[in-house]
Amino acid sequence: MNKNITLIALYSVLSLYALLTLSPFIWMLITSFKEPADLFRLPPSFAPTQLFTDAPFANYTSALTERDFSTFFINSLLVAACSASGQALTCALAGYAFAKLPFRGGNILFALVLATAFVPTEVTIIPEYLLMRGLGWIDTFLPLIVPSFLVGSFGTFMLREYFSALPNDYAEAARMDGASNFRIFRDIYLPLSVPALISVFIVAFIHSWDELLRPILYLNSPELYTVPRGLMSLVNEYDSEWTLFMAGSVVSILPLAAIYILGQRYVIQGFVGGGVK
Amino acid sequence: MSSQTAQRFTWLAFLFLLPTLLGLLIFRLVPIVGAFVTSFTRWQIFDKPRWIGLDNYINILTSPVAAKVFINTAWFTMIYVPGVIVLALFLAVLLNNSLKISAFFRGAFFLPYITSTVAVTLVWRWIFSTKFGILNNLLIGLGYSDPPAWLADPIWSLPAVAIVSVWKDSGFFMLLLLAGLQTIDPGVYEAARMDGAKRLRQFFDITMPLLSRSLFFVLILALVRSTQTFEITYALTGGGPNGASTTLAYFVYENAFVHFQMGYASALAYLLCFAVGLVTLANFYVRKRWTHE
Repeated sequence: MNKNITLIALYSVLSLYALLTLSPFIWMLITSFKEPADLFRLPPSFAPTQLFTDAPFANYTSALTERDFSTFFINSLLVAACSASGQALTCALAGYAFAKLPFRGGNILFALVLATAFVPTEVTIIPEYLLMRGLGWIDTFLPLIVPSFLVGSFGTFMLREYFSALPNDYAEAARMDGASNFRIFRDIYLPLSVPALISVFIVAFIHSWDELLRPILYLNSPELYTVPRGLMSLVNEYDSEWTLFMAGSVVSILPLAAIYILGQRYVIQGFVGGGVK
Repeated sequence: MSSQTAQRFTWLAFLFLLPTLLGLLIFRLVPIVGAFVTSFTRWQIFDKPRWIGLDNYINILTSPVAAKVFINTAWFTMIYVPGVIVLALFLAVLLNNSLKISAFFRGAFFLPYITSTVAVTLVWRWIFSTKFGILNNLLIGLGYSDPPAWLADPIWSLPAVAIVSVWKDSGFFMLLLLAGLQTIDPGVYEAARMDGAKRLRQFFDITMPLLSRSLFFVLILALVRSTQTFEITYALTGGGPNGASTTLAYFVYENAFVHFQMGYASALAYLLCFAVGLVTLANFYVRKRWTHE
């Protein structure tokens, strides 16, 4: 009996805290369905008033069309998909080399890939900016895609672990049969590493989708804005159209929430698996 | 392995590593050295850089504006680090079981971490809004007739940034600690229970020592993160009012890309990097001596 009471108390505390954690999302959703006129009513109401009118999605359509959020959304999707697939591929190649192709200096190189990830972005961003300017890549998607396409510490680490855990016998047997080294990688080890690849892809996608600093530095034309950049420019331009801002915020969260709900296992594995070691 | 195969693998490995090597060189090693050299110059982006030795560092360490930024960063760290660690530990200990409902709670607590930073920061900006914000209206409803102006208040804007950061990150640290807790053998608790150890006793005598490795890792990560907050500051307060919530990473951004003082900003970035390195080293030293491996 005593144990039950403890359990009930425990889960009441947890439920309360969960409500607190989720309340900003709930408030975001409610605000995005309010009539703009109801924003500045005191005390604030919890009613999503727009839902009861003829145009229940007016804030969303207005954000997506008039304020160009559909463009931002497509831009973000493009940038994040390119960065993430590039990163997954590069990390798979690198992880495989570190795990299955022993060579002199491999450990030092691997340590270098990991160690440089701990240097704060603030240090590297200034030379990076000057480089992008020199290359004439300002106001293109290239500065947002190319760096993550080329190197990823966390993904390399994770895939190295994954490939190391796979037996070498497969490669040796295939080599006996005359398979080339690249085919051994592509046809045997890569298919086996799909779960890890999905995790790396998802983490890279979320990071890219979330990025704010680089879009601020590198994108000038509104038609190239990503969602976070577009949201910020909207907020800076229009002072208090919170119904629109919140509709835009919901739109920017949707793909991430969808990924999280569909692939929670991969998301958690991706974020925690890379962080524990 | 014969030296001939080792030789072949070297070339092969080099091919596989080509993109990584290029990226490492162009986007990491060269910028790391480049920023270091830049930090000894005076460089308004449109002029030519001029060598000025240690002047940037001396300027930073003697200017009251930078001192304010260091104090802000320390203050932020003092709220953020204990905030995320205590919350994460509390939640992790409560959710360290295989009940279905715990999986739901873990999922809910991790949600803020993986959702779009700008989006969730904006809703907090609306929540903190002085007159029409839901927070102050709740506070007034509870009887606080004169709640703070939060983001417009020089005293409260920095804690507001810290609160949002804690809210966003604690679920992540919770998962890291949960992973640590899962490595503890349940038999240890069984034995303690046999000996009649109370719950609280078990926590301090078993959980804490056996979790110390994870705890130190989480501590380092939290300390490092606390010096690097940018997105939340940018979207919540813009460093204001009047610099009241400007912390180190944001100050680097302002100097580099608002005032275009490349040399000064690089020196700041290196000081930040130095602080992070120092914290990490100190932690490893302490960890060697105190944690239970």
